[in-house]
Amino acid sequence: MKKSLLLLIAAFIYIGCFSQFSKASLQASGLTCSMCSKAVKVALEKVPFVQEVKVNIKNQEYTIIFKENNNADFDALKKAVEDAGFSVASFKVTGNFSDVSVQKDKHLELDGKNFHFVSNSDKVLNGEQTLTIVDKDFLSAKDFKKFSAATKMECIKTGKTGNCCVKDGMHSEERVYHVII
Amino acid sequence: MKNLRILTLILVLAFSASAIKAQGPIPNITDYRLDFTVVGIKGDSIKLSSLKGKVFILDFWASWCGPCRYSNKHLVKMYNKYKDKGFEILSVSLDDQKNDWKKAAAKDKITWMSGIDPGGWDAMAATKWQVDAIPASFLINKNGDVVAINLEKDDLEKKIKELLGL
Repeated sequence: MKKSLLLLIAAFIYIGCFSQFSKASLQASGLTCSMCSKAVKVALEKVPFVQEVKVNIKNQEYTIIFKENNNADFDALKKAVEDAGFSVASFKVTGNFSDVSVQKDKHLELDGKNFHFVSNSDKVLNGEQTLTIVDKDFLSAKDFKKFSAATKMECIKTGKTGNCCVKDGMHSEERVYHVII
Repeated sequence: MKNLRILTLILVLAFSASAIKAQGPIPNITDYRLDFTVVGIKGDSIKLSSLKGKVFILDFWASWCGPCRYSNKHLVKMYNKYKDKGFEILSVSLDDQKNDWKKAAAKDKITWMSGIDPGGWDAMAATKWQVDAIPASFLINKNGDVVAINLEKDDLEKKIKELLGL
């Protein structure tokens, strides 16, 4: 009886869960042809939680596979691209969701990271889903302007949790990634 | 433990010393560490070291590389001007798709030796020549020595003429 109760509790805890992010897709841009240089690939491969980097020429995109049990730090990937002399033009992350409900302008913790869903309608995420990061320097300046106008909350300008996020149970002054789905 | 460390050091030193000795100060296409074979447009195989005796450019490119396609325009001019005087070009494409490569080669009017080395940055020839950005070009003299890297326009033509004795 005790055992089954524990199992039942475990099952409840499991509902609305997110395991971890498995990969990212990234586009780099710069003054020169970013795909014509090995620099971005090499820089991304050096990031500790990266398992493998695949170059997709057709989409001008790098697919970054994360190691298992990683704690993927998206800022570290952005920094690697910048240190290689390029900038990030698009950044998408993929993970497995089960019954995670998201709402517009609500904050959510996934895999130990804070997320702010910027411009989608309320929905429940299941299965493999891809989020696009719309923070400054994770997309073109023009696109950032567009997305930062989509919310009145100030955290999109700073990328740090502020007063606006605390009501969703977050500590202030922590990194928060702004995403769309 | 200490002995093992010293042994490793000796081995590393011995190995690097022999590598430098074998290669000499100037890289040469007959060095097995630089030589490679690629598949040509007609399915033939092209061996780099077989070009020894010619003044030639070893050019790494790909259909998706804009700057490479631009530089092909100049290579066409150079080739047409000096091909009868013993000048040759070997273009090695890093394309993964043969069709992309063939289409681009035809469009850019590449009539010289042209081969494909699939595998992107990890391709065999590109790795041997430590190519980390394209276009990358190596100018090679009749002895098979690499005499210049990534020369462009007038500098390239001047050096070609010099090597051909014109």
